[in-house]
Amino acid sequence: MAVTRQQDKATVPDRTPTSVRLAISATDDFSPGLKGFAERVRSLVVGLGITARRSVSRPVTLKYPAEKVELSPRWRGALRLTGVLGREDVALIEGPASDYNGLIDDLYRHDRLPPCVGNCPANVDARGQSFLLADDRAAEAYELVRARNILPGVLGRICHHPCESACKRTYYDEPIAIRPLHRVAFERYAEHRAERVAPLPVTREERIAIIGSGPSGLAAAFDLMHAGFEVHVYEKEHAAGGALLSGVPAYRLPRDVLATEIADLQTMGMKLLTGVRIGTDVPIDHLIGEYDAVLIAAGLQVSRMLPVPGSDAQGIWGALDFLKAGNWKGGCGVKGRRVLVIGGGNVAVDCARVALRCGAAQVTLSSLESMDELPAHPWEIEEALDEGVIAMCSYGPKEVLVENGRVAGMRLQSCLSVFDAQGRFAPVFAEEFTDVPADVIVFAIGQAPQLAELVSGSDLVLTERGLLPVDGALMTTQVPGVFACGEVVTGPGSAIASVASGHEAATSIIRYLDGRSLSEGRVYRPVPVYPRYQPATLTGVEPARRRTVMPMAKGADRARDFRQVELGFTHLEGLAEAARCLRCASEVCVGCTFCARTCPDYAITVERIDDPGHRSVTRYDLDLSKCCFCGLCAEQCPTGALRHTGQYELSFYHRDFAVFDRHEMVRSPEGSRATGADCRGCGDAR
Amino acid sequence: MSAAASFGWGALYGLGASLVIAVAALFGVWAERKVAARIQMRYGPLEAGPFGLLQTLADTIKLVLKEDVTPNSADVPVFRIMPFLVFVPCAAALVVVPFAAGWTPFGIEAGALFFLAVPGMSVLGILLAGWSSRNTYASIGGVRAAAQMVSYELPRSLSVLALCLLAGSLDPGVIRAEWSWWWLPLMAIGFVVYFIASIAELNRGPFDLPEAESELVAGYFADYSGIRWAIFMMAEYGGLVAASLFGAGVFFGGGFGLPGPVGAVVFVALAVAMTICMVWAKWTFPRLRPDQLMSFAWKVLTPMALGQLALVGLVLPWL
Repeated sequence: MAVTRQQDKATVPDRTPTSVRLAISATDDFSPGLKGFAERVRSLVVGLGITARRSVSRPVTLKYPAEKVELSPRWRGALRLTGVLGREDVALIEGPASDYNGLIDDLYRHDRLPPCVGNCPANVDARGQSFLLADDRAAEAYELVRARNILPGVLGRICHHPCESACKRTYYDEPIAIRPLHRVAFERYAEHRAERVAPLPVTREERIAIIGSGPSGLAAAFDLMHAGFEVHVYEKEHAAGGALLSGVPAYRLPRDVLATEIADLQTMGMKLLTGVRIGTDVPIDHLIGEYDAVLIAAGLQVSRMLPVPGSDAQGIWGALDFLKAGNWKGGCGVKGRRVLVIGGGNVAVDCARVALRCGAAQVTLSSLESMDELPAHPWEIEEALDEGVIAMCSYGPKEVLVENGRVAGMRLQSCLSVFDAQGRFAPVFAEEFTDVPADVIVFAIGQAPQLAELVSGSDLVLTERGLLPVDGALMTTQVPGVFACGEVVTGPGSAIASVASGHEAATSIIRYLDGRSLSEGRVYRPVPVYPRYQPATLTGVEPARRRTVMPMAKGADRARDFRQVELGFTHLEGLAEAARCLRCASEVCVGCTFCARTCPDYAITVERIDDPGHRSVTRYDLDLSKCCFCGLCAEQCPTGALRHTGQYELSFYHRDFAVFDRHEMVRSPEGSRATGADCRGCGDAR
Repeated sequence: MSAAASFGWGALYGLGASLVIAVAALFGVWAERKVAARIQMRYGPLEAGPFGLLQTLADTIKLVLKEDVTPNSADVPVFRIMPFLVFVPCAAALVVVPFAAGWTPFGIEAGALFFLAVPGMSVLGILLAGWSSRNTYASIGGVRAAAQMVSYELPRSLSVLALCLLAGSLDPGVIRAEWSWWWLPLMAIGFVVYFIASIAELNRGPFDLPEAESELVAGYFADYSGIRWAIFMMAEYGGLVAASLFGAGVFFGGGFGLPGPVGAVVFVALAVAMTICMVWAKWTFPRLRPDQLMSFAWKVLTPMALGQLALVGLVLPWL
């Protein structure tokens, strides 16, 4: 040790100063001798004179409480509210379908887009929905949502709600229940349906054919009808709904909800032709000739199967066929049998839960991915496990065990990892095999389109893999006047993403029929990625602030039939949940009180009335004598209503004005209000 | 005078002085806060009583009710007794102030010497208060106080000595009686030295190095709380009042030698004016550095006091 110390001494230069000069302050800068003495005396006298003059001048600070209400007419303060609920309503995001993306893009650029709207593929105005619902204007809320999300009642039950993932309220406590609120709006709309749903006027001569009545086709139909076109929707099955009808089990989506919403569209003027199989019954060329534009929204019809030995045995099902049989026929021959579902996605979970409801003795879900990597939504997996589905994760299918041409079981191989370091699909297996006895095996490993029949005889050419080449942004195909949307374009995905592609296709069709350029000035569907907030700590959060819990049927009860699992909110629960919305980026103070909660000095007082129909902020006070000007309140304001002003720094010199109220804070910087000439006792706009 | 009578009179004087100081501190603190506030363009205390006059009373009640904390490692007996050792000399100094013509509460011939020497004992109290706290800040504060008070003792004594020379007596009562108007120009330098040295003696700004809160938290009384802390504060304001009263009594002949009630009023007004000037100086000037403090005492104030003494010596033969 000693050696190293010596070395240190040798290498480190000695920085000890040879002499230390005392810091010379201004008071030392005087001439030497008597002259300096006189200067010093003079400086003392000048100093005393300054303080004496100060002491006889009028104090500039607060004389509490006498000066509490005295406000300079020009005073705007360190902080400013740009708007207050009750005086300014929260702006609704609605626009014509063809300009909607431009509107969203503009809001995003100006930091005015709420995260829920931004994160939704179809940019549904969830903020506006909450605002209208909390104001007890359910019909308007429903119609606002329907403008972008054609089936609010359906999506309110099945959507994977990316809006809730982005909800800023997660940062404070828990996200708003946006999806259940769609359902609340739908249920409340029943009272208004008769008076508010009316045929839309047909103002254009052109007619449009849509092949497929799934979510994307219906979304496009809705936009096109609003643009004044006549729309004919062709559906090969005997009822409309596409994947919503055949794929989504009734315990998640009751049939009457879908039927009601499609009936609304028919009332508006959509012509639905069911049982028409385009390609076999009517060639697509006929449609192209008959109609001014054709939209292919056929979706994915066939399940992918695994090419493992024995996969042609009796008892092997594809997921779509299995779901269709279970949903429509109420049985798929699994009563009392052991079912093995291969796959880890949402469809696989649906298959497993449908199998349970059809009376299977035992349902096993086998996936290649581990429990944490499952592509299915975590809440779906949880619900399935609650109902009694057995999960076997990290197993790959090896071989179907066949006895007398019937399925007897499946040999599974342990899977070590599914993805490689780059995140690509590259499963690594171990030499370990497990035999699972099963009577029925369902492959739920993906779906593919079946378009060969559909496009036969036309100029449309499929790729080698059977896919239709489509421009993913403009939704155009090789043939002018023929467009495509939905899962044909996006591949297997969410319902709301299909809806969004339907809106895009409709925009392209409108532009095509108007003779405008499809791409010029067009802003593509922007889905900004918002930061996902860490869930807030919930200790100490009042129950009234928490998210309303969705009531669920008990796992053991619900697994036996197709009744709904989620029981829905009551009217009051819906109102309370909608009122939780912070109206992010609206720049209108909604009285959320998070600024007051953030303030370290308790300088802010916020009071509001929360009665439906009379919602307003009644009081907003900032006590400047307590304010330390840290700016945390404006920093965290979710709506952006609370802003720093240019006088932020100057405020240190203006503390004499102790309180400014709501009316002071929302006054605009220019115009007559800023001069203070008006608003003295006139009582306007309060 | 028998020993018992002497003790009785002493106790009476002590009680009287303590009462005067208590009342003076009550209003002194209020006045200081008001003056400081006005200098900083604030209002100062407003709410408690008219013009906030009862604010200090409320503070006193609070201080009396507060817990009397003693640090764990403190020298407990010394720590407990030191506030009184600081307070008693300040109170004692009051008894030799010539309050009226021919009346000094404790008229002794060496009254001026008593006034200069006895408050000097509080140096010991401050030094030991800082030391017994076993706190670095407090100890530094105590040592600084000792150095400062000993240094400024000298010019202060010299300036009063010139006065004694002029009057031919060490008795403040005699000095007051002998006073005539031309002493004012003659003793101007002496008064300035007395005034500045008194501020330094009291450890008040701009000479408040022993309790510089930005450096030493509160200096020698950093660890004191409640009533003991209040006694330190009272000692400071007691010293302030005593220095003002004594200055008004001897340098201004107790109200410019005016007789009767008029003289008494002018005397009190002068003392109040001096007190306010001390507060004014505190809230005007920035704190000195230790080196500036010492060089000011020895290189400026002491020569000035000596010059004053020489001046008086020069004019004395012609009187």
